[in-house]
Amino acid sequence: MTSSRFPDPSVRVEGGALGVGTGLLMVIRETLDPLPASAVVAVRTSDPAAAHDLPAWCRVMAHSYLGSDSGPEGPVYYFRKGEFRPVAAGQQPDWGIRLPLRKGQELHTRDWMVGRVGQVPEEALTTTGFAPRGAVVEEGAPAFDFAINSRDAVWAAEVFDLYEQATANQWDASRDIPWGLLQPLPDPMERAVCQLMTFLTENEYSALYVPAKFIPQINPQFNEVVLFLSTQMMDEARHIEAFTKRALANGGGLQYSAASTQLSLKTLFDQHDFTSASFLLSVLGEGTFLDLLRFIETYAPDPVTAEICRRARVDESRHVHFGMAHVRYYLTQDPAHYGELLATVRERAAFMRSVTEVSPRVQEALAILAAGGLNLDRLAEGTGQVRALMDEMHVHRLQRLQVAGFTPEQADEMSRLHTPNFM
Amino acid sequence: MAIPILVGAVAYDARVVPIWEGMRDYFREAGPPIDYMLFSNYDRQVQALLEHQIDIAWNTNLAWVKVHRATNGTCRALAMRDVDAQFTTVVIVRTDSGIESLADVKGKRVALGSADSAQAAILPLHFFQQAGIQPEKDCTLLRFDLDVGKHGDTGTSEVEVLRALREGKADAGALGDTTWIRLIAEGRIDARQIRPIWTSPGYCHCNFTVLSDFPDLDGQSWTDALLGMHYDNPRWRGLMDQEGLKRWIRADTAILEGYQVLFDAVERQGLANNWQF
Repeated sequence: MTSSRFPDPSVRVEGGALGVGTGLLMVIRETLDPLPASAVVAVRTSDPAAAHDLPAWCRVMAHSYLGSDSGPEGPVYYFRKGEFRPVAAGQQPDWGIRLPLRKGQELHTRDWMVGRVGQVPEEALTTTGFAPRGAVVEEGAPAFDFAINSRDAVWAAEVFDLYEQATANQWDASRDIPWGLLQPLPDPMERAVCQLMTFLTENEYSALYVPAKFIPQINPQFNEVVLFLSTQMMDEARHIEAFTKRALANGGGLQYSAASTQLSLKTLFDQHDFTSASFLLSVLGEGTFLDLLRFIETYAPDPVTAEICRRARVDESRHVHFGMAHVRYYLTQDPAHYGELLATVRERAAFMRSVTEVSPRVQEALAILAAGGLNLDRLAEGTGQVRALMDEMHVHRLQRLQVAGFTPEQADEMSRLHTPNFM
Repeated sequence: MAIPILVGAVAYDARVVPIWEGMRDYFREAGPPIDYMLFSNYDRQVQALLEHQIDIAWNTNLAWVKVHRATNGTCRALAMRDVDAQFTTVVIVRTDSGIESLADVKGKRVALGSADSAQAAILPLHFFQQAGIQPEKDCTLLRFDLDVGKHGDTGTSEVEVLRALREGKADAGALGDTTWIRLIAEGRIDARQIRPIWTSPGYCHCNFTVLSDFPDLDGQSWTDALLGMHYDNPRWRGLMDQEGLKRWIRADTAILEGYQVLFDAVERQGLANNWQF
C-alpha cells in the first residue's frame, strides 16, 4: 500500500500498542541498525502518546520526522534515518554462527575459532579493552594500559586443549582426598611430611602469584591464555589448600621456611617479562617439581600424602606443558629469543649464587621419607635416593628444554644453572 | 599567535568544564583558537557580553531575548545545536486526571518548572494563554523555582514537575521535550500513570550570540569551524553526546523566527519590567 504523502518506506515496523516508554524503541532499533542513512521507516502503533514522543525522539536522535497517517489499525508514523555513521563504521558483527557439538553433546573451546572470534591478532589494539575478541567495538573507546599486546609474547598453539583439560580436571581438596585414611605416624616421619608440605606450599604460592601478576597485563584479545592462567591459579590455590591441610591433619603442623627458598621464589616473582617468568616457573620450576612430587608420592608414608601429590602432579604437568608450548611458539617466532632466555637463566643464577643446595631441612625430609623413617639401616640409602632424584631432575630438564626448542648444549647450561631450590 | 576568541558559557553542571576543554582542543585544530569563560548564571554572562568581556555567549533563548532587547536587535546569532531548532514543550498529565486536551486543565493543579525556564514555565504559560486559558486564575499553579539564573538548564525543576505528577500533587505539568524523551526512553516513566497530551509548536532554544561589532569574517570562520565538528569522528563524539547534539547548524534567518514566540511571551507576561538590561 503506497501512501500519497510520504515516500515508500524501506521498512515497516509493527509496534502493536507499544509506546516509546514501553518497548517501541527496541522494536524500531532492531530494524533500524542495518538500514542505510536516509532510509525511510514507517512505524505503526496504537499508543496515542507516540504522536508526541516519536517526533521528540527523532529530533534528539537526529532522524527526520516526516509526519503521520491514520490507518485502519492505528496511525502510522514516518521518519527518515539520520545520516551519521554507525558506531563502528565498516564492521559488522558475525551472525548465524552455530558451533558444532562433539561426541556426548560437548562444546569445546577450540571449536569457537570461527568467524571474527577465530582471528587472533598478531598485535592487539589497546582500545578493544575488555571487549571479547570478535565483538564490534565502538570507536572512541578508551585505551587500556595492557602491557602485553603481541601474540608472540603469550601465545601457545596448544592452549585450547590445555584449557579444556584444566576445566575437566578440577578437583576438591576437601572431599576428593581420603582424609579419613590418615593414621598417626612416628614423629620423625610426620615431621618430614610436614616439612615437605611447608616447602611445597610456599612454592605453590609463587606459582599462584606469578600468573596472577601477568593476567592484568595481557590484552584480553588473547583470552584463551588468560583463561588457562586462571585455571592455573585455581590449581595452585587448591594445592596450597591441600598441602596446608595435610600439614595440619595428622598431629604435626607447618614447619620451617628457609631464607634461601624465599630468595629463590622472590627472584621468580620479580620477573617482569611473561615469557621469562613462564619459562623459569613452568618449564624449569614446575618441570622439576614433577619429579619431586613423584618422589614424595612414591615414598609417602600414608595414602593421603600420596594422593595429594599425585593430583598436584597431574595439574602441574598441564602448567609445564603450557610453559613449554609457549616457549616453543616464542622461539619459532625469532631465533634471537634463545639468547634472551639463556640470559634470563644466567641472571637469576648470578643473583642466587649464595644458594648452593636445597634447604637442608628439605633434603633431610626427603631422605627420611625414602628411608621409611629415621631408620639407621636405611638412611644412607635414602640419601642416595635423594641424590638420584637430583640427577633425574637434571635429565628430565634437559629433555623438556630440548622439546621446547633448545640445543643440547644450551639445555645443559640452563639446566645446570637452574636453582637447586627446585622451583 | 592570534588572540583566542573568548566564548562564555554558564556552568550549569560539572560536565560543562570537560565540554569546553574539548571545545578548546577542537578549535585549536579546526581553527580560530578559542578560550572560554564560565559564569554561574546567564545574567552575568549577558552582562559580560554587553560589556565586551567575552566575544561569543552560549546563550539560552531567554538570554538571547535579553541581549536582543539590550542591543535593540543588533546582536547576531551564529550557530546552534540541531536540537535547539524546533525545540518543543510537552504538556503531560496524570492518566487519572481526566485531562484530554489543553482546555481541560482549567480547575486543575498544574506544575511548572523554574520561573526563568522558557521551556518549562514561560512558554507553557504563553501556550495556555493562546489556548484561551488564564493559568493564574483558571488553574492552581505549582512552581518549582530551582536553580534560578540558569534558565532551566539543570533540569532539576523539570524533575520536580514529574515528581509532583507521580506523587499526585499535580494533575498536569509542562517540561521540555529533551528532558521528557530522555526519561521516557530510559524507561523511567510509568506510561500507565503519566502521558503526554500536547506538544507545542517548535521554537528555538540556545544559540551562540555575538554583538554587532563582532567582525563578520571572524563570525564566519568560527561558525565554519564549528560546523566541521562531526559526530562520526570518535574524538568529538563524547563531547557532542555530553552537549546533547549530533550536528551543529547555522542560525539563519528562517531558524531565528523560532525565537519570536518567546519575545511575545516575555512581552505578554511583562517579564522585562524586572530586567536589569
